[in-house]
Amino acid sequence: MSIFHADYLPALLAGLGVAAIGAPLSVFVVLKRLAFIGQGVSHAAFGGVGVALVLGFAGSSVTDNVMQSVIVLAFSIGAALVISALGRSNKGRLDTAIGIVLSASMALGFILFNIAESGHDHDEHGHAHGHHADEHHVIEEILFGNILNANWNMVWVTIATGVLILTALWWCRHKLIFWSFDEPVCAAYGVREHRTGNLLLILLAISVVMAMQVVGVILAAATLVLPGAAALHLSSRLPRVMIWSMLIALGGTVLGFMLGDAAAWPIGPSIVLVQSVAYLGALGSNKSLALLRST
Amino acid sequence: MTTPDQTQQPAVEIRDVAFSYPPSGIGEQGLEVLRGVTMRVEARSRLGILGPNGGGKSTLIKLILGMLDPSAGSIQVFGKTPNQARREGLIGYLPQRIGADLDWPLSVEQVIAMPLRAKLKPWSKLSDEDRSSIDRAIELLEVDQLRDRRIGALSGGQLQRTMIARAICTRPKLLVLDEPTLGVDIAGQQRFSSLIDTISAELGLTTIVVTHDMRALVAVADRVACLSRTLHFHDTPDGLTPAVLAQVFAHDIEPILGEVHIDAHTAVDCDDPSHAHHPDCGHDHRGGAS
Repeated sequence: MSIFHADYLPALLAGLGVAAIGAPLSVFVVLKRLAFIGQGVSHAAFGGVGVALVLGFAGSSVTDNVMQSVIVLAFSIGAALVISALGRSNKGRLDTAIGIVLSASMALGFILFNIAESGHDHDEHGHAHGHHADEHHVIEEILFGNILNANWNMVWVTIATGVLILTALWWCRHKLIFWSFDEPVCAAYGVREHRTGNLLLILLAISVVMAMQVVGVILAAATLVLPGAAALHLSSRLPRVMIWSMLIALGGTVLGFMLGDAAAWPIGPSIVLVQSVAYLGALGSNKSLALLRST
Repeated sequence: MTTPDQTQQPAVEIRDVAFSYPPSGIGEQGLEVLRGVTMRVEARSRLGILGPNGGGKSTLIKLILGMLDPSAGSIQVFGKTPNQARREGLIGYLPQRIGADLDWPLSVEQVIAMPLRAKLKPWSKLSDEDRSSIDRAIELLEVDQLRDRRIGALSGGQLQRTMIARAICTRPKLLVLDEPTLGVDIAGQQRFSSLIDTISAELGLTTIVVTHDMRALVAVADRVACLSRTLHFHDTPDGLTPAVLAQVFAHDIEPILGEVHIDAHTAVDCDDPSHAHHPDCGHDHRGGAS
């Protein structure tokens, strides 16, 4: 089946949407050394899943689905802000802050999941098994989404989120670049460092939560690292780096689809594999050029 | 050198300022860095702030820049709060250590233009006035040849000139330089001093230079403030005596020479030939300052 077949189209468009959001963000992630943030926020989201389950949104109805997403999103944005605050109180060490929030959220998620489960064990109506199945389904859907399950609703959500994130990035681009380039000094020129840092982390949290529900955790984290990391080896001009990042993200998604389809491999990991090869290619071409210039 | 203008509004007015850093752990006390600092920096003057490490020099700079708020007292920059002055682009700043991430794919010109771009509306472009400020800064700092070079490909001196160009591109009235000649040799310090001379004269700037290097200070400043938690001296460089320096640097000297007792009234300048036979100028170095 061609990847442009109607059955594949929502998955392909959702994948391209996620790629288009991740491409510019990944440049900031790589340069600010936040590569761990995708893993951090996606795992922190597990705490949000626990909260949704304890609050009783364990079903697969539209209301429950919307509430699950809203709670997970709110929890993840909260986690990103806690990471930012902890990083500040920890002499700017965001990696430690991400590690702490990731572990604490995972622990909270497991405990809340157990509480939700044990509550249903004592359900006087005897629907415990049904609820267990629902809860596992919710966790799988939210944490390990499969790109081939993407439907048109997900495509619209991805497009709306994409417009929101790309507009915010464009709107604040000068301040974000100044902050990312020279955080210790930007405040002296009127760039509010905490506000700008929080903005980037919130945008990252939104994109991770959206991406992991559409394409799964592995691709969500990869999309925030690989395109930017590869693009930075291909140009020393920021606008060109952004264009390369976008090309690698979108091209990697299309090629990943084709590879996955041809080899009957899972699509998400195939996209990650193609983008990883693109990174190695960029690294290799950069090193070869340097070698040629030195000889 | 430009002449300080005492009839104008002062560039910086510091009134009874104190600052303490909050406790860094449970059971620990906050660290008092400054207390009772009162000082007036005249417009178009060149103030050098001298003091030992940990004496509060960089903290005072951050207070003037509005990056910290004083625990007590007040600071005004050209009659405005530091935050207002900063928002209006009245202050240019070169930090002690250039902490910028030089891996960013940015050209020298892009870095110099950053403070101006950060003030733009999202849909606006740099105005002609902004562009000519950038060109002037590039010309004054002699980085025209480096305009398109990647920021990570500069030498230490080129990077410093680029950062000074960034500091002056907002057309500031006050330029604050924190330890600009740290680790620079004497020839480099002289070049730097003449560069600051040129920039200050061309742009009519008030300059504050923080240093703990006497040579750098005398070369650059027409007024000196000696700071070690509090203000010990604020006058022309000629007024700096060994007694004053011993008092300011007592904290640094004590571990080497033991406790230093200073009597500013009786201390003498042993470099002055008229004091050659003074008992304090003998072989016992401890006596010189005590």
